[in-house]
Amino acid sequence: MAHIHKLLSRPLRRLWRGLREWCGDAAYEQYLLSKSAQTSAFARMQPAEFYVEQLNRKYSRPNRCC
Amino acid sequence: MKRFLSTAVWIALAILAAGALGAIALQRGERLNALWFVVAAVCCYLLAFRFYSAFIAAKLLSLDDTRATPAERRDDGRDFVPTNKWVLFGHHFAAIAGPGPLVGPTLAAQFGYLPGTIWLIVGAAFAGCVQDFVILFFSIRRDGKSLGQMAREEVSERGGFIAQLAILAIMAILLAVIGLVVVNALKSSPWATFTLATTIPIAMLLGLYLRFVRPGRVLEASLMGVALVMFAVVAGQWVADSPAWASAFTLSGIALAVIIMIYGFAASALPVWLLLAPRDYLCAFIKAGAIFSLAAGILLVRPQVLMPPVTRFIDGTGPVFAGKIFPFCFITIACGAISGFHSLIASGTTPKMILRESHSRLIGYGAMLLESFVGIMAMVAACAMTPGVYFAINSPPSIVGNTAEAAATTISNWGFVLQPETMTNLAHSVGEITLWNRAGGAPSLAVGMAQIFSNTIGGPRLLSIWYHFAIMFEALFILTVLDAGTRVGRFMIQELGGRVWKPFGHTSWMPSVLISSALIVGLWGYFLYQGVIDPLGGVNLLWPLFGIGNQLLASVALVLATTILLKMEKLRWIWVTLVPMIWLVSATMTASYQKIFSPIPRLGFLAGANAMAVQLASGKIAVEKIGETHRLIFNSRVDAGVTALFALMVAVLILEAVIQWTAILSGRRKATLQETPYVATQWADTFSGAAHGDD
Repeated sequence: MAHIHKLLSRPLRRLWRGLREWCGDAAYEQYLLSKSAQTSAFARMQPAEFYVEQLNRKYSRPNRCC
Repeated sequence: MKRFLSTAVWIALAILAAGALGAIALQRGERLNALWFVVAAVCCYLLAFRFYSAFIAAKLLSLDDTRATPAERRDDGRDFVPTNKWVLFGHHFAAIAGPGPLVGPTLAAQFGYLPGTIWLIVGAAFAGCVQDFVILFFSIRRDGKSLGQMAREEVSERGGFIAQLAILAIMAILLAVIGLVVVNALKSSPWATFTLATTIPIAMLLGLYLRFVRPGRVLEASLMGVALVMFAVVAGQWVADSPAWASAFTLSGIALAVIIMIYGFAASALPVWLLLAPRDYLCAFIKAGAIFSLAAGILLVRPQVLMPPVTRFIDGTGPVFAGKIFPFCFITIACGAISGFHSLIASGTTPKMILRESHSRLIGYGAMLLESFVGIMAMVAACAMTPGVYFAINSPPSIVGNTAEAAATTISNWGFVLQPETMTNLAHSVGEITLWNRAGGAPSLAVGMAQIFSNTIGGPRLLSIWYHFAIMFEALFILTVLDAGTRVGRFMIQELGGRVWKPFGHTSWMPSVLISSALIVGLWGYFLYQGVIDPLGGVNLLWPLFGIGNQLLASVALVLATTILLKMEKLRWIWVTLVPMIWLVSATMTASYQKIFSPIPRLGFLAGANAMAVQLASGKIAVEKIGETHRLIFNSRVDAGVTALFALMVAVLILEAVIQWTAILSGRRKATLQETPYVATQWADTFSGAAHGDD
């Protein structure tokens, strides 16, 4: 059992992380890890503020195709 | 030993690909299993990815993983976000895969399964994937610059402006044609209309949740939304069964077109978090689920392909759309083989998120191969249904006749046997009032998908649920492109208007938001209205126009790529982009010429307008139809003008590029590349990639 758990836990963790990154669930966490958020002199955005700002940027350029 | 085994595997794969392609091409008289399509496509894709994309990566582009990508240099956690290659592959695929690869091959099935299938595979491997890959790479080397910016810097100032104008014009046609596909899918269908209408309040509910309750928790909100949408699909049956509710949701084409325009305006003008973004999240999950389910369904059911390899309609007399196999098969397939719009994505978000240059091979070339596979599945779904049923769904009454009996006789006379009761029974079993004359590709694809799904799960009892699931999936998919496209179009108009009067360019200034939203909706709404009132069903009118626009945009991308390769002194390998460019320009210019000047009224816009004018002058038009005929004549002339404008814009751009190529080759002009200077990656030696899941 422990062996199976060990075997599966890493790929499952990676899959979960990939899914969260793909759908945008982990966007704020990625923002906090980014170089500019770590070094910037400006105040970091709060989750709600970041969410709206990110959407406004994303949907102002072609992001869905035919 | 390892090398020997690898060589043996690739040789075996090549033999399998040749065998499967041979089976598809040479089968006559016997039913062909759809599995041959899957085997042929997958083997060809693997070979193309392993050898051709590796050749392009090594010889043409010289990908360099020691060079820092924009995501590394400018990492800001917002636009420039270093992203794991598989996650970015998913992002990129979700962005490029729209309704085109589903609808295009379904419509092109009127020529038979063979021409479309071959173009889907060959076109993707040698043109579409190449375009996506090289444009992505060139954008990475230019800090993620857009196609228009690159055209301005590498070709000429005028070339860049033309490219931007072409993008806006083509976008208006695209939005109109996909709007028409939705109208034809929902027309007279209370079940489908209710289901799709319900997705709007569901999306708004999710928007409020994501904005105020749990900001940014996309996964949990999307799962809730998907559950609600599935419930709406089932609830649609109750609506269809209730006479009062059914009549409220039974809408005409014009009513649906007006509602879609109002929706587009709202999605463009409302805050993005309220409607547009949550709808996109919902769509992404349903899209991924439906595409994987269709692939699994085809593998499990292994349906027989009933459509002949080549039909009589290669001569240009097809009922779905007019025009001969060349150039219209290539124009119609569009996105499944090559799409100009992909170059906007490949020079938009993706280059700003890529970790290493070598990842562009998987993301640029690989994601397009997957999109081509979606096209193959759509072709299989369309060709697995009885050909008579396919033509009955996709043909307008002006060609097959106004009554079920007349239509069945016409279609049977073409050699595709059809009884009127077959259509009545099919409509009844999928929960629709009628399936006659439902042009646009969406209903026939939904029938094909529903038959495959119901043979996998549920049997005939669930056929109606699967049909409406497929319609909901297609319509949701399309409306997501429509609302996102309208918003982007609004920004483009604001940018153009801002050059004339600065305040208009402020994207959050409400009068500018409302005026620009109304302008872009008016632009595509005009063409959508044209399609809805068109007696030939609209698809014959708008889909070729969209295909021409889309393929011309691909020509623009390939002209740019060829120019950059020339500046990179890659003359020896320039055929990689030059040959697909010449092919595309030939196909699109031929199609443009025929759409404008063909003497056949169904094909040529001007001939169509003249034929109607003659009928009008000779008094053959009923009094109540005179006003509508005047509008149709005007519309056909406008369409001829639009086609000419597309062709002219691309011709000017090509001329600009050829002048520059000649100057460079003759040594009169120095080739100056506009790449960002080389910066060595900090990740090359020490980067394990763990932080970005690249381990």
